[in-house]
Amino acid sequence: MSTHTPEELVHDARLGLEDLLDRESLVELCESAHALFGIPVRVFAANGALLAAVAPVHEVCAYIDTVAAGQAACGAVVDGVKTAQPAVDVVHPCFTGQAYRITPLVYEGRSIGKIVVGPYLPLGAGRASAPILQQYEEPRLVEALARVPRASDATIRNLGKHLTTTLGLIVFSGHKALLTSSMHLATVTAGYKELEEKNRQIEGAFNRLKELDRLKSNFLATVSHELKTPLTSIIGYSEMLMEGLAGPLTSEQLDFSATIHDKGMQLLDLITGLLDMSKLESGTMTLRRRMMEIQPILHDVYTTVLPQAKKKGVELVLDATRESCELNADPERLRQVFINLVDNALKFTPTGGTVTIESRVMEDPADDDQAGLALLAPTESQVRVWIRDTGIGIPRYEHAKIFDAFYQVDSSTRRGYGGTGLGLSIVRRLVLAHGGTITVDKNEPEGTVFVVTVPSASHPMTQTSLPPPPVGTG
Amino acid sequence: MQLNFAAREVAIKLVYYGPGLSGKTTNLRALHQLVTEDCKGRLMTLETKDDRTLFFDMLPLVFHGLASATAEDARSTGLSLRVKVFTVPGQVIHASTRKLVLQGADGVAFIADSRRSETQSNAASFLDLKANLEDLGRAIGDMPVVIQFNKRDLPDVRPEAEVLALAQRGKEPVYQAVATSGAGVAETFVGLLHLTYSRLDREHQLSGKLAITPPELLELVSQRLGGASGQTLLGACLGGFRA
Ligand SMILES: Nc1nc2c(ncn2[C@@H]2O[C@H](COP(=O)(O)OP(=O)(O)O)[C@@H](O)[C@H]2O)c(=O)[nH]1
Ligand SMILES: Nc1ncnc2c1ncn2[C@@H]1O[C@H](COP(=O)(O)OP(=O)(O)O)[C@@H](O)[C@H]1O
Ligand SMILES: [Mg+2]
Ligand SMILES: [Mg+2]
Repeated sequence: MSTHTPEELVHDARLGLEDLLDRESLVELCESAHALFGIPVRVFAANGALLAAVAPVHEVCAYIDTVAAGQAACGAVVDGVKTAQPAVDVVHPCFTGQAYRITPLVYEGRSIGKIVVGPYLPLGAGRASAPILQQYEEPRLVEALARVPRASDATIRNLGKHLTTTLGLIVFSGHKALLTSSMHLATVTAGYKELEEKNRQIEGAFNRLKELDRLKSNFLATVSHELKTPLTSIIGYSEMLMEGLAGPLTSEQLDFSATIHDKGMQLLDLITGLLDMSKLESGTMTLRRRMMEIQPILHDVYTTVLPQAKKKGVELVLDATRESCELNADPERLRQVFINLVDNALKFTPTGGTVTIESRVMEDPADDDQAGLALLAPTESQVRVWIRDTGIGIPRYEHAKIFDAFYQVDSSTRRGYGGTGLGLSIVRRLVLAHGGTITVDKNEPEGTVFVVTVPSASHPMTQTSLPPPPVGTG
Repeated sequence: MQLNFAAREVAIKLVYYGPGLSGKTTNLRALHQLVTEDCKGRLMTLETKDDRTLFFDMLPLVFHGLASATAEDARSTGLSLRVKVFTVPGQVIHASTRKLVLQGADGVAFIADSRRSETQSNAASFLDLKANLEDLGRAIGDMPVVIQFNKRDLPDVRPEAEVLALAQRGKEPVYQAVATSGAGVAETFVGLLHLTYSRLDREHQLSGKLAITPPELLELVSQRLGGASGQTLLGACLGGFRA
């Protein structure tokens, strides 16, 4: 059947009758038409090829063939019929008084072939008087012509119409079947390829996970146990010393113990940070996402940090939005993000300053120029949180660097703030893992503002966000 | 597009895209009803019994003898515009069919279901369209696209004011429709055809070659779609003509 590819078929492929029809059914159709009136029926393709014919030779035609001149004249008539490409129904006459009716076949606005009905004798046709006929015996000719099936113009037109309608339907069904089968084949082939590709990916992912699992249970377990366990003891014992559980201490001893305790805590922070980093780096940090709102998180952060703020004499303000915006996020990790930011803000804000936590739901997608905005915008709400402080600020040229691991703004005024320089780099990766963004800016008139944006559950960034990106120091 | 200069024939492929059951097949049915008898072939629908489009639907339209009023002899200079309109299946499992049907498309009508509950699947389907075009090496920004918010007759649809606000901010022409009653169907089709043909005209200088301009073509085609003038049909568009 057809040699068209599925790609061609879903365009404007030039289809022929021969692509769309079953030859044998076509012959049957011609047979049934022939049986009605005994008139021959032929179907031609657009290129002139004869596709089906039920056309026993009339006696008169056989007789005409017996004389050379008649044979030639007949040949000319038949050639005319074969080469005719009429745009509408036409009657093609024969010198014997017989006639052919030629009906064009049109599909999707294009000619795909024609049906030829005849020869027949038109009802009411006069006697033919072509000079050539004088070469034949009159009575025999008349007798043979009398046996040619007669039909009125209307009958023949109706027969032609019936045949084109029927053929039109068969062609349509043929086209549909052709499309269905080739699409089916193409889909199955594509589906198979996709499955193969997916299998490969899954296998790759599986091997990677196995490897990571091994790494995780080796390295992470080692670090957390071998370092954290003794450290917890150091911290614990120094605390007990300070509490006087081993007897009273001199003020100098108390001072020393406090230093041991503080440095131990610092080391613990560093190790916890490193553990987070290595989890992020190896891709074993998985977000435990669930449907949640931002307000409870911010409230929790607020109450956690409040005592610390009070102690330092910094005012802590929470201004959370009342509007609802569902997030599909890991609450524990988001809490970590905001604890870190608020903790920084407090650390770098002197007594008498203010730290504000503010959140709003943003309906606007970032980019008004994107394609499909009318469809995408309603799904693109996001929550934005501002952590503002009135502290020492961050010079603009440092803004890009502070998210790097271990980076701390180096200036004499800052010595004595402690910390590891890991906080912001972890914060940034956690925000990115949620499909969000974090930026830093100068707070007016003084201090710093960090802006965290987390996409809503229905936002495409949430739908497509990847596992946390690996950590470099850059 | 296929241009057969000798036959004065331009063949265009338009694709109706969108989530499953948003009304793509219904749009084609309504369009088939609207078009005058001499311009349409049979509507081919390949559906399963629960209304789901199996592979696609296809409606062939042929507008013969489109000639500029200023051309001397309408018959000899008339253009034949062949438009094949395809729909894609919405279901996830037919991803490969969607891509196959999409390839070679000259323009896309995105049929969205206006109900709020469908917001998410509309967006997902649009992103799928974008991804499939990218796979085919084409950018959505370069494709003529119109958006139809269908099923305006149902309760809980996004109100017109909101649709208007969205339309005015977006790039694509936006139409509202009730495909089951035929409302907005001609507008969407003509809007897409005009956008698409104007683009092809610019890219291939068709006006000069074929002696007919996009606005003239717009009017001639509109006449065969139930009579409203092309400008009236285009006027139904809500915003979105930002370049
Ligand atoms: N109420 C309402 N129903 C519609 C409208 N357009 C389509 N439908 C119905 O939605 C269902 C899916 O339509 P269909 O055209 O098959 O969706 P397709 O999957 O996009 O081809 C059918 O039951 C339609 O009758 C509309 O404008 N209003
Ligand atoms: N709110 C802030 N105000 C001023 N400087 C800040 C603030 N937050 C962060 N920084 C600067 O960015 C550096 C990196 O922060 P971070 O990664 O949290 O590390 P750490 O807090 O352990 O120093 C800090 O050392 C500090 O110099
Ligand atoms: Mg910190
Ligand atoms: Mg359908």
